[in-house]
Amino acid sequence: MVVVTLQRDKCIGCNYCVEMAPEQFAMSKKDGKSVLLRSKDKKGFHTIKSHDDVIYDNCEKASKACPVKIIDVKQV
Amino acid sequence: MRSFAKKIGMQQIELMAPAGNFESLQAALDNGADSIYFGVEQLNMRARATMNFTLEDLPEIAKRCNAKNVRTYLTLNTIIYDHDLSIVKTLLKKAKEVGLTAIIAMDQAVIAAARELGLEVHISTQINVTNIETVKFYAMFADTMVLSRELSLRQVEKITEQIEKEQVKGPSGRLVEIEIFGHGALCMAVSGKCYMSLHSYNSSANRGACKQNCRKKYTVIDQETGFEMELDNEYIMSPKDLCTIDFLDQVADAGIKVLKIEGRGRAPEYVAKVIKCYREAIDSLHNGTYDKEKVISWMQELEKVYNRGFWSGYYLGQKLGEWSTIPGSSATQKKIYIGKGVHYFPKSNIGEFKIEAYDISLGDNILITGPTTGAQELEVTEMLVNDDKLSKGQKGDSVTIPLDFRIRPSDKLYKIVENKVEA
Repeated sequence: MVVVTLQRDKCIGCNYCVEMAPEQFAMSKKDGKSVLLRSKDKKGFHTIKSHDDVIYDNCEKASKACPVKIIDVKQV
Repeated sequence: MRSFAKKIGMQQIELMAPAGNFESLQAALDNGADSIYFGVEQLNMRARATMNFTLEDLPEIAKRCNAKNVRTYLTLNTIIYDHDLSIVKTLLKKAKEVGLTAIIAMDQAVIAAARELGLEVHISTQINVTNIETVKFYAMFADTMVLSRELSLRQVEKITEQIEKEQVKGPSGRLVEIEIFGHGALCMAVSGKCYMSLHSYNSSANRGACKQNCRKKYTVIDQETGFEMELDNEYIMSPKDLCTIDFLDQVADAGIKVLKIEGRGRAPEYVAKVIKCYREAIDSLHNGTYDKEKVISWMQELEKVYNRGFWSGYYLGQKLGEWSTIPGSSATQKKIYIGKGVHYFPKSNIGEFKIEAYDISLGDNILITGPTTGAQELEVTEMLVNDDKLSKGQKGDSVTIPLDFRIRPSDKLYKIVENKVEA
């Protein structure tokens, strides 16, 4: 299973995660920050748990590209 | 050059202070700033800073500044993408609602949206205005323009003279006012338009996320021969900090109206110290008491807080930059955290502190900072330790000190000590 977490309040809206993993991330038109699609918010930590391991590589690329290091990807 | 004597009696230069949080904002207000600039949320050139104002802070910022008749400028000067357009409008609407003075903008989308709302626009140094025709172009939208930091004062003066001669006016109907940077960090790139951080860390300076890798040590190697270039200094991309206090008379003679102090990422005591010095300098220029002796004492004060060594930037026409010789600050003083505020007794004007680290002694210079307190520095001449008259308080002690200003539980107490810098 892949667990992806986004701490979106610290996002500076650079758009890199969307470039790397467009299936999982989108930019919010409301506040200009990144959104982790289909995620659940728990005290500012937005998380998805997916059984589709295919998303790991792209999310990992997004995590590495993020200039403020707010994306965490784990394979559990 | 026009002589300064002719200008005495003319409008005084506006001193613009940076604020990255409420501590610095209050420090700027307490030390005589005429105007304050600040960013909110992510669309400003200090988006990476751990402390940043949010949209909800805007009414409080406006309230505190309006109470002191201090002008308020919102920086909205990053590169703007399509997904930012909505938040730009939200920020501008809020700025209009709380009555901010103006918006500092770079992107044409921000300029257009601000003008649509009838907000005053200032052109950011990120646009890199370097000639009178560009000033005339942006005069269609803006009343104040920050010139490129790479111009000489001679070039600045030509622009201000031409504005007067050709009567170049902004949307307000007033002559366009020219602003320049007076003090603080400089970039190795033209007025902040640098892509080094983006290329090496994916972290764009133009989105306020500069990683400052220019401040590190580098060596230069000739790839053909493998020889390392002999350099007298390995910090080949880290300029010293700009300082103009020692030639502020020439700066005034160039006809500028606003002097901007850099440092939204700096500590409140930095803002307090720099604003206090430049306030005194501008006032003494105005009343004709600006002299060498004063300059020496201001320079000594400015060297106490964060700096990479000082130089005059490009204003006096130097061809080559001056580079820093250390990775961080060469400040002559540093602060050490020793405790926090507990209570203020207004009738007796006494502040109570809890010492949490190191110690405090009579004769110590202390610094108290807080969101409402700002940054207050003083010498301890009298104190009680756990209600006894002692000359030293230790970790765990309760210490009371007479103070002519109120302190709060959110305040932090520091000791100011000498800083030995190793080059």
